[in-house]
Amino acid sequence: MVSGGFRPKASQNNPAKVSATGGDGQSGRFVAEKFAKATQLRPSGFAQGENTAMAQQISEGGNVATTASAANPQPRMSADVMNSFMSEIVPIDAEPTEYLPISDGVDVGRGRGSDVISPRLTSAINQSEGIDIIKRYLPDIMNATRLPGAPDSYKRFANYLKAQIL
Amino acid sequence: MKWVENSFFDHLDKFASSLGFENYEIAIPLSMVPWASPQDRDIFIMSITGAEVKGGTPDTFKYAEAK
Repeated sequence: MVSGGFRPKASQNNPAKVSATGGDGQSGRFVAEKFAKATQLRPSGFAQGENTAMAQQISEGGNVATTASAANPQPRMSADVMNSFMSEIVPIDAEPTEYLPISDGVDVGRGRGSDVISPRLTSAINQSEGIDIIKRYLPDIMNATRLPGAPDSYKRFANYLKAQIL
Repeated sequence: MKWVENSFFDHLDKFASSLGFENYEIAIPLSMVPWASPQDRDIFIMSITGAEVKGGTPDTFKYAEAK
């Protein structure tokens, strides 16, 4: 069988089958399907142009019933859960953090003390992490106290760390 | 081996003395920062404490070396 070449009786060469949108009719159906889908996907479900009229009616005070989920939100979280999230959110009128000193939240220097830090960050679990830090570095810190020239302030600090784990 | 300025232990001495011994959890990580110079470190300490840097001074080291 010979393939290829010009075939006068092929469907693409029949002028009666050529649609206005091109091809042999498939493109016309394609456009119609796209239009139907686009209309279906419109948020309001209305055809193009009707949204404008409805928006104008809303702005003029008309009450248009809607089934959109955004207009009728369903409560999915309990009040307790919502309140726990809200407590972490800083109010809009709070003091901007860029104006706070770098020592804000620490019991040293300017700014607020550690009482502004969430209790989650100062729990007993984090205190045990501090002990772990001491245990990890104390041997090297104690060895450095024997170096010639080690300041007395450093030796006092090493003794303070040693007392924390005893 | 002797006490060296601008080392981890020197940083630890300055941070612990300036921030307070009870803030060792902050002092130890800050001491691990590779500070470009003791001056840069001291400026940082003064910016967060608003006070002079505490701890051993270079004079302290020289005195110990002379002994």
